[in-house]
Amino acid sequence: MPVKISTRNIYKNYGAVEALRGVSIDIHEGEVHAICGDNGAGKSTLIKVLAGVEMPDRGEVVIDGAPCRFTTPTESLKAGLATIHQDLAVAARMSIYENIFMGAELTKNVLGIRMLDKKKMRQDAAGYMSQLNKSITDMNIKVEELSGGQRQAVAICRALRWNANIVILDEPTAALGVRETEQVLELVRSLKQSGKTVILISHSMKDVVAVADRVSILRNGQNQIDLLAADLSADRLSHYILSGEVEQVQA
Amino acid sequence: MIPKHAIEKYGTLFAGLVLFAFLMVFAENFASTANLLNVLKQVSFLMVLSIGFTFALIASELDLSFANVCSLSAVVIGSLMQAAYPWPLAVSAGLAMGLFAGLLNGYLVTYLKVPSLISTLGTASVANGLAFMITGGVAFVGRWDPDFLFLGRGKIGPVPVIILFTLAIVALSFFLSTQTKTGIHLQATGENEEAARRSGINTRKSKILGLALSGLAAGLTAVFLVANLSSAAPQMAGDFLLNGIAATLLGMTMFTPAKPNILGTIVGALIIVVLSNGLVLLGAQYYIQDIMLGIIIVASVAVSASVLKRAAFAL
Repeated sequence: MPVKISTRNIYKNYGAVEALRGVSIDIHEGEVHAICGDNGAGKSTLIKVLAGVEMPDRGEVVIDGAPCRFTTPTESLKAGLATIHQDLAVAARMSIYENIFMGAELTKNVLGIRMLDKKKMRQDAAGYMSQLNKSITDMNIKVEELSGGQRQAVAICRALRWNANIVILDEPTAALGVRETEQVLELVRSLKQSGKTVILISHSMKDVVAVADRVSILRNGQNQIDLLAADLSADRLSHYILSGEVEQVQA
Repeated sequence: MIPKHAIEKYGTLFAGLVLFAFLMVFAENFASTANLLNVLKQVSFLMVLSIGFTFALIASELDLSFANVCSLSAVVIGSLMQAAYPWPLAVSAGLAMGLFAGLLNGYLVTYLKVPSLISTLGTASVANGLAFMITGGVAFVGRWDPDFLFLGRGKIGPVPVIILFTLAIVALSFFLSTQTKTGIHLQATGENEEAARRSGINTRKSKILGLALSGLAAGLTAVFLVANLSSAAPQMAGDFLLNGIAATLLGMTMFTPAKPNILGTIVGALIIVVLSNGLVLLGAQYYIQDIMLGIIIVASVAVSASVLKRAAFAL
């Protein structure tokens, strides 16, 4: 598969703290690419750069061969890159369809006035949702009434709604139980099946091993190891993250 | 059995209807046409002010300045009328004053990052001071242009103009808050600012809009108040502060529980005015009203909080 998105030599400092010190990762189209690393390794900062929340001091993001510069989250979204943050993704007291269409609501023209087209939004939302989770059919339900896994599905639907080709999942299973985690991993697989490129940030080695095609390990703001996920075990991955060493670089 | 969520959504409305029926039967003169029209007129002022407060609260900002801003707008209108300027100019100036105060609050909250609780408290005090400065502490009273007074006292058929204006404002506000992109962006900003921002919503704009609408509503109410009384004085809208907050918070116990909403605010304002009116007719002492207001404010939030808590525990 061709390379879909790359980060090239990205640097980002916060005052004296060097959060990123030259991160270069190639992510291939249609693959699930996991980014791992201990706390403080630079994962969050990298995601913020990709999502347009932070601007890099140096380096660039390249999508489909074209360099991009994101100064706002909207610019990142328009470039086809949707980021799903672990806690910040949904407004709990709003309905499923309102969350899916947040910031991109559909309208219809009634006597020259642009009104929300709630019916169309509900229909389309149900369409997106059926790709991911067949058990949720009522789009009027408030997100606070959903389980953690179902909430992630809502957040991912929003990414689909933006026609994002690249979906970044930031710790999607961090707060979830076993069964919900399995639901989210299933969501990741459906995303891949529909041809999306997925960037997965996770602390859970088990999850990474279960769904990722490639893994990049960040340490001290640099990507030290890039490898194929096949044949990788969770234990071995933990060892790499902690030691920063790998016997044999595969990718 | 009545389902629990029906009680949550319509319980307060039902209680309001019971109160209304009770007063119809037991309070002398309550049911008279004159009194009911008076109630509707009184509720007009409160409704418009509370709708403004509600818009700010939907965006999760508190506007504690609306009553004093309303008084200041009133005084601005009064001073221009007194100086014999044409009434459309006086009205425009009053509206502009309210809008400006709202925009200022929005600026303080979004650009200078002063929490609205503090910034609007400051604006309230400044507005109060300015109102006294403009009037020199006395009231403007005059025989003003009848066309201007028509805004506050006129009738079309048997219906006071002011009630028609209020109906129009209610309809417009309800439409804006529930049927437009602007309205839903306001709500998304209030519900989860970070999520809204990352979905591409201009949350700063939403917050400024919420507070600006509150200011504008204060200006509008000032026009009606001054035209109705044919006078303007500092602190003339002071009593509306607690009433407006109570109406909005009471409204949050209705229709979309624990969320500020225009429809709830309207019913909340009706209940509060009917209650005050009923208490007077039943011969209650004036201080009973303040006690009732305090209880309504705290109880409403307690009810809303219990809805919120249950939702949180359901996770």
